[in-house]
Amino acid sequence: MKNNLYFKIFACFLAGIVLIFSLFFLISKKERFSENENRYLANFPTFSLESLIQGEYIEKVEDYLQDHFPFRNLFMNMKTNTDLFLGKEEVNGVYFGSEDYLLEKYNEPKNTNRIIQVLNSFYQGLENVEVNLMLVPTSIAINQERLPKNAITGNQKETIEQISKALDFANISVWDSLQEENKKHPVFYRLDHHWTSYGAYVAYREYCKEKNLLPLATTEFSIQEVTDDFRGTLYSKVIKDDLPPDKIHIFLKDGMEYEVNYVLSKRITNTLYEEKYLTKKDKYSYFLDNNHPLIQITNQKIQNGKELLIIKDSYANSIVPFLLHHYEKIHIIDPRFYKLSIQDYLKEEKVKEVLILYHMGTIDEDLGILSIH
Amino acid sequence: MVFSSIPFLFFFFPIFLLCYYLIPQNCWGIKGKNIILLIFSLLFYAWGEPIYIFLMIFTTFSDYWWSKKISQTKTVKKTRRYLLFSLFIDLGLLAFFKYSDFLIQLINSTFSTSLPLLNLPLPIGISFYTFQSMSYTIDVYRKNVPVEKNYFTYLTYVCMFPQLIAGPIVRYETVHQELSTRKINLENFTIGLFRFFQGLFKKVLLANNIGLLWTTISMNLESLSSLTAWLGLIAFALQIYFDFSAYSDMVIGMGRMLGFTFLENFNYPYISKSITEFWRRWHISLSSWFKDYVYIPLGGSRVNKARQIRNIMIVWFLTGFWHGAAWNFILWGLYFGILLLLEKYVLKKYIDHLPNMIKHLYTIFLLLIGWMIFAFDDITKVFTYGKILFCGLGNHFVDSTFFFYLKNYFFLFLMTILFSMPIYPKVQSLIKRWQWENHFLYSLFVFLIYVILLLISISYLVSSSYNPFLYFRF
Repeated sequence: MKNNLYFKIFACFLAGIVLIFSLFFLISKKERFSENENRYLANFPTFSLESLIQGEYIEKVEDYLQDHFPFRNLFMNMKTNTDLFLGKEEVNGVYFGSEDYLLEKYNEPKNTNRIIQVLNSFYQGLENVEVNLMLVPTSIAINQERLPKNAITGNQKETIEQISKALDFANISVWDSLQEENKKHPVFYRLDHHWTSYGAYVAYREYCKEKNLLPLATTEFSIQEVTDDFRGTLYSKVIKDDLPPDKIHIFLKDGMEYEVNYVLSKRITNTLYEEKYLTKKDKYSYFLDNNHPLIQITNQKIQNGKELLIIKDSYANSIVPFLLHHYEKIHIIDPRFYKLSIQDYLKEEKVKEVLILYHMGTIDEDLGILSIH
Repeated sequence: MVFSSIPFLFFFFPIFLLCYYLIPQNCWGIKGKNIILLIFSLLFYAWGEPIYIFLMIFTTFSDYWWSKKISQTKTVKKTRRYLLFSLFIDLGLLAFFKYSDFLIQLINSTFSTSLPLLNLPLPIGISFYTFQSMSYTIDVYRKNVPVEKNYFTYLTYVCMFPQLIAGPIVRYETVHQELSTRKINLENFTIGLFRFFQGLFKKVLLANNIGLLWTTISMNLESLSSLTAWLGLIAFALQIYFDFSAYSDMVIGMGRMLGFTFLENFNYPYISKSITEFWRRWHISLSSWFKDYVYIPLGGSRVNKARQIRNIMIVWFLTGFWHGAAWNFILWGLYFGILLLLEKYVLKKYIDHLPNMIKHLYTIFLLLIGWMIFAFDDITKVFTYGKILFCGLGNHFVDSTFFFYLKNYFFLFLMTILFSMPIYPKVQSLIKRWQWENHFLYSLFVFLIYVILLLISISYLVSSSYNPFLYFRF
């Protein structure tokens, strides 16, 4: 057996390593918020006899100890790298595709029929309102050829087709144009689940085609890179520091003036872009300040009387800047947070056009859409 | 608190160990150490079960009390009665907390009544400590062990935290001497520490990761191909072995660090050449418990054939039922009972002549089917899975998913299968033959491997607490 002196010394060293981590924990500064996870870390619980008896207190102490373990980020990297070294191609539901693409698994939808029902009854409850749906595929569908061999993922095309066939109003298909554009510019971020401004731009062109509008050409914009250091949500799921970050581009047109009213937080600005997020982790929030229940944007350079209501998830935030070139006012409602009746809102505001815009990653899973009717 | 968790590894255990070692042996002797061990064990139990700790104290006190009575009484009739009292309390409590809902459901479905379920949470470790405590009383009754005079020493034995929650079932005879005299020294610390870490690595790196595959595959039975189902089943078999044996390793290692020598609980079960052999190598403390306290008292194999068969079936019904209050566990126990009977009376003469390779395949196949029964509480799922394995649901034989999993988990399968075989003792004996064991470079090499594996294990533990908030989806 290992009974020689060296082993005894090394056993003490090993125990010492454990102790060093414990000590480090005690003296290290505790972060309150984890940017990577986008959540507040557990606080040390306050003691009460009741919570002790119910076992809650202890659970919270354990959460606290785990959340504040020293060098957490370093260990996260180490875990991902070990997984990859062992031949794993998927971590936390995210595939490691070629060319540093992270591709989030699309689960087989479960609520398609309910969604169809809600959309149709929403439509039937309206009078004299034009409604369109835009279902945007996610990165894994458009970047299929970048997936590892035999990777398992649901079929988004089938679901989109099933929904559009059953609808009483038109779904604007953006699939082909995204695929086409993707050959020239990436239409999705590699490390985030959102689409890029290039993706949003081609979708905007499809929208114009459907609505008989004349889309602006790329040459009419100046395309600017606002950051080259964007590591988004998919990165957060896997944590691997040596993945090259994404760039965010925006399409700017000179001489535009907006009034952006974040109605429920009573804040009015004159820009679609929130600079402050560029220094934070969650840089996609640069577009229209993350998610709000209701935003009203007035284009002060157009007086055509046209108004549009967008019912949406976060994908819409980067297509709104394009659509604004054709509307005097755009109302944006996120039904996950807006709890009043959308029908009433349409009547009150006398809005005659509606666009429902969702990406395939949320439509089936977060189901905020079910509350529209 | 599981051993393979950050709170235990970095806080509970180091603090305990420091107290345990620092309390001077020359003034209070081993008693001081026992008191520390008892206090921390009670804390450990209360950590997960603040209420049921009184149940455990009651059970142990009852056994302590009746055993004392047994030892003070001379008439056989009376001692027998005391023993029955004690067993009645032990089994009564176990039955009440573990099996009452099962029984109520059974009554409800047979007599179509609708008695309400009790929905009691199962006290942690009750199956283990009850058996442990029972074995003590029976052994006192049989005069196999001396009676313990001090209740707190007895309580320390039953509830010492390394083996309290999930075994191995340490018998009083194994440790009663060490409770009063044991060697707490650097030598035992070293052996124990390395053993503990082996268990930790097995659990965190192998069992948890291969378990991930089983979780994924068993979550959605609808679209499984036959080969994927087999792969999942193999993953489950490996997971349950590494999980459980890793746990035993950690227990044995911690015990050693405290100066206790516990018996081995696993002996490379998957290299068995028959089911009979498997049960000599798997969860040894449980099978020997049933052998010594059920099978042999029933007459064992010294009675006529019909009774032998009855005895074996009783033991295996109980073994299955002990694993959980559900039909699949009973079925699982009976399945093994029948296989053991078949091997004993029918197959033995045929199996003996088969080449080793075939014996292994035969054993592994039957074990996998056994694990399938074990894996699902819901018996209809057992049958569904069985059909999938043999393409009985019109499912495909193989699909691309299978190749994806195979590629993703290839290395893990390789490692787990390799370490299911006695590679480690082989290497140890080679080291001995080459006389490397006292070599500085060799010890350094081993040390570095442990450091690396420790860091990687920490990284998996840390990342299991890492929850990207769902908010991200928006």
